[in-house]
Amino acid sequence: MDISVTLFGGLRHYLPAGSSFNKCMIDVDEGSSLAALLQKIPVPSDKPYMVILNDEKVASDHFDEITIQGDDEVVLLPPIKGG
Amino acid sequence: MAWQQKILRVNLSKGSCDIEPLNMEWAEAYLGSRGLGSKYLYEEMEPAVDALSTENKIIFATGPLTGTMASTSGRYTVVTKGALTGAIACSNSGGKFGGELKNAGYDMLIIEGKSDKPVYLHIEDDKVEICDAGDIWGKTVWETEDILAAKYGDPLMRFAGIGQAGETLCRYACVVNDKHRAAGRSGVGAVMGSKNLKTIAVRGTVGTPAASREVYQKINEINARMNDREGMARDGTLAMMDVTNGFGSLPTRNNRSVRFEGANKLNPEAMHTPNPNGHTNIVTNGACFGCTIGCGRICKIDPTHFSVKDRPEYQGASGGLEYETAYALGSACGVDDIDAATFAGFICNEYGMDPISLGGSIAAAMELFDIGAIDESTTGGIKLEFGNAEALCQIAELVGKGEGFGADVALGSKRLCEKYGHPDLSMTVKGQEFAAYDGRSMQGMGLAYATSNRGACHLRADPYEHDFDTTEIEGKAQVVAESQRLVAFMDSSGLCLFPAGCGWGTEDYCELVDLVCEGDWSTEARMVETGERIWNLEKLFNLKAGLGKKDDTLPKRILEEPADVGTGKGLVCRLDEMLPEYYAINGWDAEGVPTRDTLSRLGID
Ligand code: SF4
Repeated sequence: MDISVTLFGGLRHYLPAGSSFNKCMIDVDEGSSLAALLQKIPVPSDKPYMVILNDEKVASDHFDEITIQGDDEVVLLPPIKGG
Repeated sequence: MAWQQKILRVNLSKGSCDIEPLNMEWAEAYLGSRGLGSKYLYEEMEPAVDALSTENKIIFATGPLTGTMASTSGRYTVVTKGALTGAIACSNSGGKFGGELKNAGYDMLIIEGKSDKPVYLHIEDDKVEICDAGDIWGKTVWETEDILAAKYGDPLMRFAGIGQAGETLCRYACVVNDKHRAAGRSGVGAVMGSKNLKTIAVRGTVGTPAASREVYQKINEINARMNDREGMARDGTLAMMDVTNGFGSLPTRNNRSVRFEGANKLNPEAMHTPNPNGHTNIVTNGACFGCTIGCGRICKIDPTHFSVKDRPEYQGASGGLEYETAYALGSACGVDDIDAATFAGFICNEYGMDPISLGGSIAAAMELFDIGAIDESTTGGIKLEFGNAEALCQIAELVGKGEGFGADVALGSKRLCEKYGHPDLSMTVKGQEFAAYDGRSMQGMGLAYATSNRGACHLRADPYEHDFDTTEIEGKAQVVAESQRLVAFMDSSGLCLFPAGCGWGTEDYCELVDLVCEGDWSTEARMVETGERIWNLEKLFNLKAGLGKKDDTLPKRILEEPADVGTGKGLVCRLDEMLPEYYAINGWDAEGVPTRDTLSRLGID
């Protein structure tokens, strides 16, 4: 199934080729965990980000426990400072 | 040695201009810019004076790195007693004015007294004159710059001055330099206006104190370490909008909510994407003196938009929305029209107003309108409803001119809400409007707002990482207290804070200061101690001005009404639990007063 993933700020660099301005669709198997989905997004491991699933922040220690549904919306946000 | 070791003191009452040596003992303890300017203000002026009286002083202070080759070295600070807050005001700006003042041979310009008629100051190195401003009083910031630039015929002359908002003593009038960079917060422009000082025109050919080729090579090496700049150049600070909206900390409709359904019409994508008319808001990015980031937004309003349709003078490119302005003139007012918010931002630059406080004040007026505390008979027929983009633009112009209901909104949210009987609706600390973060889902920011010496501010501490990591309060007091010291040091260097999010660490600031200043500035211990000294001095100024623990607080909404959505859903700010720990970490007593031991450790008598 295809899951919509939006990457903001500098993370947009890592969108797969052919993506729109800041969105891509990532194909995962039914029943996949959030962690499995995140592994398929080509953001380098040294680039930290926050994960927002359907408008709520998810702590990294829950990534393995959450099963992704077909209509989920995943957003990755870079840690940035204020201004 | 990067200090010029010279101060220019101008007394507008006497009409005198004198050059004095810089107090180097103070420079070594308070570094420059915000810190050193605060030291001079504290030593020279009774903090209890009325901010708009002749007795208040206004200081334009550069830092040791201002005007050097270090990246982002165009910064200067305006230090005075704030007209909005009655607290110490240290309002920082970029652009090119700061570097020019330094190049004219001065670390600092101290203005005292009051002229009996409108004047401007003309500085060309050691030639300084107070000039009649009769023909520019009543003009906008932009007109003033154009008139004086044409008069002197020098394209390199730089200006820092006020528009009509400063002349009419709008409580949040700012000082605008280079047309769209501003020492924005706390009403420093109203202080300038109260002195009948329209603008400062400066041209410098002395140069910044020469350092060796070796030092400049090292500065270049440090500049090159700032290797994560692209995101900031492309999206500016506006990148934050998606982060706070996703997280649930974007203040919306006067903090009734923490998420704005129209954020995707104000975010970087909206700024970069052509609208149905094929018009794209952003034209290019812009940079302050010597900056290798260029976070500034240079934008154009769709010429068919209602705000500029028959007004070609607003159809050109100018300073566009940053994150804070997009919040204040957007989500805070429930407005999702990027062109309307851009227009209100242009008006702020043109008339000389702080867009954060303007937006916060309009948002408060919208809530007063919503609950029926004011109506169209008060507003002069304007339907001041949340989300009304036309009303936003109309009120912005009225405030700029000080006309009609605009004169009430020019009082700032606190005085406005008090006037109409609902003080709890003012989203302010020490009278200053909130920045673009909600203190319920970002508990550390709540503490940072409450304890900020200049009133609610997002740039006095750095709780971002901790706040986006957890809403639990453990550790927040420590993070806020420690980062307040680091930021005070960085602000006093003459550099911008944003490199710290683009690849530099605090150690890079330290190394740069050490490279250009005499003595050993290389240690973290000296950086932290200098920052702590500055923070405590600012606190002492406020205590002497009559502000105390009662002012280290937040509006009832943030303390009692839970956040409606997002990560902080159901939370209020737990300030009462964090504040005692914060005071203790600072070495202050239970009333938030620095103890004798703390002051003596920091060398403050
Ligand atoms: S990062 Fe932005 S605000 Fe800072 S100096 Fe550069 S352009 Fe100016």
